[in-house]
Amino acid sequence: MKVVYKVLASLVAAEVAVQAMMVVLGDAGLFKYVEQGGVIDKATAESGGIQFPEFFAFVVHGVNGMMVIPVIALLLLISSFFAKIPGAVKGAALVVLLVVVQVSLGLLGHQIPALGALHGLNALLLFSAAVHAARRGRGAANAEVSDPDRPGARVETVV
Amino acid sequence: MDRTRRRGTRLRLALAGAATIALLGPLAWLWQASLMPGAYSVMDMGYADYGGALTHVAGTSEHAEHSQHSQHSGHSAGHSAGHSAGHSAGHTGHGTPARSLTSLTADPDREADVAITLVARKQRFRLPTGRSVDGYTLNGTSPGPVIHATIGQLVQVRLVNESVPDGVTLHWHGVDVPGAADGVAGVTQDAVRVGGSFTYRFVAGQAGTFWYHSHQVSHEQVRRGLLGALVVAPARPPAGAVDVVALMHLYDGARTINGREGDVRTEARPGERVRVRVINTENGQTPVWVGGAPFRLAAVDGTDLHEPAPVRDTAVLVTAGGRADIEVTMPGDGSPVRVHVGGPTGVVLGSRSYDAPAVPRPAIALDLLSYGTPAPLGLDADRPDRRFDYEIGRRPGFLDGRPGVWWTINGHMFPDVPMFMVAEGDVVRVRIVNDSGEPHPMHLHGHHAVVLSRDGVRATGSPWWVDSLEVGAGETYEIAFVADNPGIWMDHCHNLPHATEGLVAHLMYEGVSTPFTVGGTAANEPE
Repeated sequence: MKVVYKVLASLVAAEVAVQAMMVVLGDAGLFKYVEQGGVIDKATAESGGIQFPEFFAFVVHGVNGMMVIPVIALLLLISSFFAKIPGAVKGAALVVLLVVVQVSLGLLGHQIPALGALHGLNALLLFSAAVHAARRGRGAANAEVSDPDRPGARVETVV
Repeated sequence: MDRTRRRGTRLRLALAGAATIALLGPLAWLWQASLMPGAYSVMDMGYADYGGALTHVAGTSEHAEHSQHSQHSGHSAGHSAGHSAGHSAGHTGHGTPARSLTSLTADPDREADVAITLVARKQRFRLPTGRSVDGYTLNGTSPGPVIHATIGQLVQVRLVNESVPDGVTLHWHGVDVPGAADGVAGVTQDAVRVGGSFTYRFVAGQAGTFWYHSHQVSHEQVRRGLLGALVVAPARPPAGAVDVVALMHLYDGARTINGREGDVRTEARPGERVRVRVINTENGQTPVWVGGAPFRLAAVDGTDLHEPAPVRDTAVLVTAGGRADIEVTMPGDGSPVRVHVGGPTGVVLGSRSYDAPAVPRPAIALDLLSYGTPAPLGLDADRPDRRFDYEIGRRPGFLDGRPGVWWTINGHMFPDVPMFMVAEGDVVRVRIVNDSGEPHPMHLHGHHAVVLSRDGVRATGSPWWVDSLEVGAGETYEIAFVADNPGIWMDHCHNLPHATEGLVAHLMYEGVSTPFTVGGTAANEPE
C-alpha cells in the first residue's frame, strides 16, 4: 500500500504539472489564432468546433481538473488509510482539500477573474503537498528498511 | 508480544476498512441513486412546483396537502419510475379530465396552406465554399430549406428520416405550436426512426423570424446541421422592402451564414429598407453590428419591438437560439452596408458596390431593457396566478452515474428538478436567477415571455418578448407569460451541451399527460 500511496501522490503532482502545461498551451494557441485574424466569441467558444489546434488543451484541462484529479486524490486518501506511513492520512487529506479548493477557484474564476490568479497559486500549493506526500512515503519506507524489527517492510519497498 | 502486534494490525486494518467504507459508501449510494431508468416519463421527473397556487383545481384541502407533500418530497425519476402509473393518475385525477398531449393539434380538417416534405439524411456534404462536413442534411442541404409562410397560414411539414441512425424530430423554435407538434423526442413524440415519418401541423400565428431543428440528441444533431430557418411574413408585407435571412451556424468551427463561409451579398438599392433576419443557431451569444449606416432593431425572437429608435456604433447581442431582425435604410449615395454577424464577415448590402469595409465591434451593446417605447403587455404581471423561481446553480455530484460538476435548478440536480405546474389561463411570473458562474440562454418552449426586470431594474422600453433569454452569470431576470398553450413544454438551457448536463425542466399544464417516455424502445433522447 505504501507504494500505491506514493504512486498516487506522485500522480497528483504530475497531473498538476500537466494542467499548468495544458492551460498555457491553450492560451498560447488562442492568442496566436487571434493574432492571425481569428475571431472568438461565445458562439464560437461553445460551438464544439475547433478553431485552433491547441483548443484540445482546454478540454484536457477541464476533464483532468474536474474528474481525473479528484478521483486520484480520493484514491490517495483511501490508500492512506492502509499505508503504514506516519502522517499519510494527514498528507492525503491536505491534497484532497487543496483539490476541492482548486476546482472551486477554477470554476469561480469564470465569473471573477481575480480568483483565477488564486487558482494559479493554489496549483503550486497542491503540487507541493502532493510531492511532500510522495516523499513522505519514501522517507517512511527508508526508515522502515533500517528497522530490524520489521523485515516485511523491505519486501514492500522493493515492490 | 507477537499476538498484540497482530491484534494491533487487525485493528488498524479494520479501522482503515471502516474509513474507506465511510468515504466510499455515500459516494456509491449517490452514484447508484443517480442512475436513470431505461425509460421514464418526464411527468414523473422531480417534484411538482405549483408556484404558490395550492387550491387551483378542485380547491380541496386534500389537494393542497398533496401539493405540499410534492413540494418537499423531491424524489428522482429513478425512484418514482416504479409507481409511475399511480403518480400520473395523481396529476390528472383532480376534476380536470385527463387529456393526452397527442390530442393537442391544429384543426385536423383544415387544409394546409404551406406543405413541405423534409428528408433527413446523415451524410458527408459540401458547403458552397467547398468545405466538406460530416453531418446531417434536410433535403440534401444544411441548413435545410427556408420555410416561408404568411401569418394565419397552416404549415404542414412531413419529416422523413432516410438515414439518421439515432432518429430525428423537428422542433419549431420560437413558434407557439400546438402541444403535439413541438417536436421533442420522448415528450411530445417518439423520435422518427430510419424509414419512418412524422407530420407537423401548426398555424403560423405570429409574423417573425423563427427556426427549426432536431430535438433528438439535439446537442449533436443541431451542431452537425439538422436545422433551418422559418420566416412568417405579415399579412401585408411592406412594399419595396428587401428581406434577407442570415442564419448563423458553425460547421466544424467554421462560421457560416446560410451555409456560406465569408460574406453573403444581397442587392439593395439606395433608399431601400432592408430587414436582415439574424438567427443564432449556436450554443453561445453572438454580437451583431452594422457598418455604413444606422440601424434599428426591429424585432427580437419573432416579435416586433415597439418604436425602436435608430442607433449606430452599437452592437446587438443575439442569444443562443434567439433571433434579431436588423432594419437598415440604405444610404442615398449608394454606398454599401455591412451587417457584421459575430466577426468581420456578415451580410453585405449594396447595389453598385459591395466593397464595405469591416468595422470593429462597438464597445456599447444595446440594452433591450430601455430600447424602444412602452406599449400594453396584455397581461397583469403584478397579480400573477403562479410565481416560480428558476435558480440555476452548480455543484459536484453524479448525473446518471457520471461524476462531475453539474448544473442545479433550485438547488436540485437532474432529474430531481421542479416540474412547473400551471393551469390554462394562468398569468405566470418566473424569477430566473443565475448563480452558476456561467451564462445560460434559457429557452421556454411553446410560449413567449415578456421581460419585466433585470437585477431589480424594471423594463422601461418596448415590451421585450423572448423565447430565448440570455441570463448572464450573477444576473436575475423576472419574466411573465400567459399559460395559453396547453401541453408539456421544455424550459431549458439552449447551450445544448448544458441541457445534457442537466439544465432541463418542464412546464406542465394540469390535466395534460404524455404517453411518450424518454429512453425506451424509441431510444428518445431529447437533449
